[in-house]
Amino acid sequence: MSDAFAGGSDRRDRLKRVALYAVLVAMAGFYLIPIETGLMTAITSPETYTGQTPFLPPLEPLVSGTGSFSLAPWANAFDGLARGLANSFILVVPATVLSGLLGSMAAYGLTNVEWRGQIAVYVLFIAGIFIPYQAVLVPLTQFWYNVVPLQAAFGPLAAAVPLVQEYHWKLVALIVTHTAYGIPICTLLFRAHYKKLSDEMIEAARLDGASVSTIYRRIVLPLSVPMFAVVFIYQFTQIWNDLLFALTIVQFGDASVVTQELVGIGVSQSGTNFPLRMAAALLAALPTLVVYVLFGDKFAKGVTA
Amino acid sequence: MLETLKDRYSRTGEESTVRSLLDRESVRSAPFWGPPFLLVALFVYGAVVWNGVLSLTDFTGIGSPDYGTLDFENYVVAFTGGTPTWSDLTVDPIWNSAQNTVVLMIVFAAVCLALGLVLAILVDRGIRFENTFRTIYLLPMSLSFVVTAKFWLYMYNPQTGLINIGIQALGFGPVEFVQNPELKLGAVAFALIWQFSGYAMIVYLAALRGIPSSHFEAARVDGASTVRMYRRVIVPQLRTATVSALVVITVFALKAFDFLFSMYGGYQPGPSADILATRMVREAYANQNWAYGSTIAVVLFVMALFIIAPYIYSQYRRGEL
Amino acid sequence: MFLVLVGPSGCGKSTTLRMIAGLETVTDGEIRLGDRQINDSSPADRDIAMVFQSYALYPHMTVRENMRFGLEESTDMPDDDITTTVEQTAGMMGIEELLDRKPSDLSGGQRQRVALGRAIVRDPAAFLMDEPLSNLDAKLRATMRTELQRLQETLDTTTVYVTHDQTEAMTMGDRIAILDDGKLQQVGTPLECFHQPANRFVAGFIGEPSMNFFDVERRENRLVADRFSYPLSEATVAQLGDATELTLGVRPSDVALVDTTGADAFETTVDVVEPMGNENNVYLAFDAASDDPDTFVATVGGMDRVETGQTVAARFPESALHLFDRASGEALRNRELADADEIDPRV
Repeated sequence: MSDAFAGGSDRRDRLKRVALYAVLVAMAGFYLIPIETGLMTAITSPETYTGQTPFLPPLEPLVSGTGSFSLAPWANAFDGLARGLANSFILVVPATVLSGLLGSMAAYGLTNVEWRGQIAVYVLFIAGIFIPYQAVLVPLTQFWYNVVPLQAAFGPLAAAVPLVQEYHWKLVALIVTHTAYGIPICTLLFRAHYKKLSDEMIEAARLDGASVSTIYRRIVLPLSVPMFAVVFIYQFTQIWNDLLFALTIVQFGDASVVTQELVGIGVSQSGTNFPLRMAAALLAALPTLVVYVLFGDKFAKGVTA
Repeated sequence: MLETLKDRYSRTGEESTVRSLLDRESVRSAPFWGPPFLLVALFVYGAVVWNGVLSLTDFTGIGSPDYGTLDFENYVVAFTGGTPTWSDLTVDPIWNSAQNTVVLMIVFAAVCLALGLVLAILVDRGIRFENTFRTIYLLPMSLSFVVTAKFWLYMYNPQTGLINIGIQALGFGPVEFVQNPELKLGAVAFALIWQFSGYAMIVYLAALRGIPSSHFEAARVDGASTVRMYRRVIVPQLRTATVSALVVITVFALKAFDFLFSMYGGYQPGPSADILATRMVREAYANQNWAYGSTIAVVLFVMALFIIAPYIYSQYRRGEL
Repeated sequence: MFLVLVGPSGCGKSTTLRMIAGLETVTDGEIRLGDRQINDSSPADRDIAMVFQSYALYPHMTVRENMRFGLEESTDMPDDDITTTVEQTAGMMGIEELLDRKPSDLSGGQRQRVALGRAIVRDPAAFLMDEPLSNLDAKLRATMRTELQRLQETLDTTTVYVTHDQTEAMTMGDRIAILDDGKLQQVGTPLECFHQPANRFVAGFIGEPSMNFFDVERRENRLVADRFSYPLSEATVAQLGDATELTLGVRPSDVALVDTTGADAFETTVDVVEPMGNENNVYLAFDAASDDPDTFVATVGGMDRVETGQTVAARFPESALHLFDRASGEALRNRELADADEIDPRV
């Protein structure tokens, strides 16, 4: 009898387990299917695309109606996005590094060096994370277009230095803006890390004769390497994915970044070219997807801090 | 040996009192927090203040703003509508987009948190391939709003979209989501939930992992069923996580501009999906009503302030800053 | 000189040490190192090395780099000389073979040694040690205690050592300073503090098991407590002045268990016996019948047979009595010192 009882409870447990995995897999499907559909459509040749089974791989002539395989949408998407991709990289690398570095410095100055009033300064940093970009757009546009003579400075610079174009001034403006807006979150992330560093260790370094800057350079910075990975991944994703600052500071033109280019791609008088549009969306997302797949745990750490 | 070496190279003890002012920790740490603080002060807070001043002008993009005559006309227009002095056209008040903003924010935040909590509890049940599931659930968050919009525009498409293919397979006619005034805000919210519920999941999962396993075991020993255990013992301990996830998610909702711009291919999502974030940018950058755009931005800023100020204050009170 | 700062947790001993190090600001008073006043010097300029409770080694550096760091930052010593100095010190500390390892690869005892080595290599004017042995297990702690004493004698550098453990204080210090509630209670040699405590706090803090205290009232030349009355000699009475509200203190080792009661021997009941091997701690009560008897302790030889429930007479020899003013806690009369001189360990 006790055997029968155990068997029943076993079976019920197993059933529960199966149901649990079924739900988990179904949810995984929910999160993946838009991306999967996009990917399958993106490798279909536009001429044979029917739109009847967008989620199936293009298997014509094996399965009719699925369209035939082609990488042409990717090639076209790359052509369409090349300039945007290049501009995005020019933007994202310095902005990520600068905001990370400045955030680390701010966190060090506000955490590991004790002085009164640092909480007040820190609150201003933290509040900066949550301020909607809209609240600063008009002044920033005014500032970069009418107050700073950045454009005038870039004319002669572009003539003198190879690879520098006049329109790059807009990217510089965008780099500075993104750096300023990235500092608060970077400071938060680094501060959480620095609070865990042993106070006694910092004090030991002070007694060893190290100055505030030496402690940063020789103790804190080497111990921040794992946090830099988290912060860089987070900032890279944020800046790469942003549209609003680019739209208002760079505006459409030579200096457009990839998110701007993506908005209009794949639409023409004759209707929407879905394979091209999906290829473009995936191509624009590729850098962040690669970073995410390679360093997913670090990304998760960044967003939860 | 030690003695002689040390005496020869010693650096200590000279003119130390002279430097006492420079030795103040706030001063010595200034090179570190100073430059980033300056950037933030200028570009964030400076700009917020400047925006506040601009909202009191009549600036419409011609020449430079006239700071001589400041008034609250734009706020009156924003709340009651009418024809402002700087325009020949009637300007709509912001109530419609404010209402959409609040509805979107509430629906999006509530569903995200609920779904995130359920997923977190499921993932926390000691499952296999936990990392894989977690990675998949959080994957959409690594995408740009612009990319998400493109995917969902495709999913919602009446002819070739997967959702409509499914609906038609069930024998119903195609449904227009994206341009349908009745459904479009829901369609936007659904896509945003797809993108951010994984975030709520991660936050809750971290909080669940922070609860000592003795709490789970104690409830089990007391004979509580799984559902009761979570409802009575575990979920009440997730308040901090809920608050911080809520703050971040509502702020995401305030920023949903990128998504709508990409979904509707421009500044015009139409009245039933118009939120303050799009209205502000449209007024300033499409209609050239710069000062009026600034006014809407102030409203958005105040809304954000109402969310973050209590949050930061409570963090401060609990000594977590 | 090896000065031990000792006191219960929260008494300000660590703060005092950190003020000497320059890690806390001094609002009043003066800190001198040799003939320099160092109040306003930065920690780096004080020529002081500190050993922390957590050791505070730099986790990303090898032991060698940990030891070099202080010399590189606080002196202009050329690289070659630093290398020699570090290796010499490592040799002295017996940690040469650890030089290329990271702190995370070391055991607690090894980290402790490295932390000491890192302080010693600087050859500072003074060492500060903040409970450096408290993270070690009991056996290693005893070994390190003797080793530290030996090192200090070899290096002959002023050392200020903070501990809450009165055994460490008694065994290691040339002088001990007892702190309570931020106030200095007494400075003296360990034996001075043991035999001639300045006040009730010191008397109770130093010594294991603690001194027994009884509230007594002086009437003429008798001390009257709840349960006994004790006759005092003329000489003792003279030391008390006109104080009447007193606390009587007697160390457990001075309480003798005898067969018969007398003027200085009172009937008590054995409540609990704690055998320690070489001695027994006997908890005695005047009111054994009550639910929660007030007990006091007598330490007797390990071979003496005492059993719970037994009635014995506890004798308090007058020469061993301490008397404190009950209100201020100040010592009015300490035990006679003829005994103490004989205990002086010098050969």
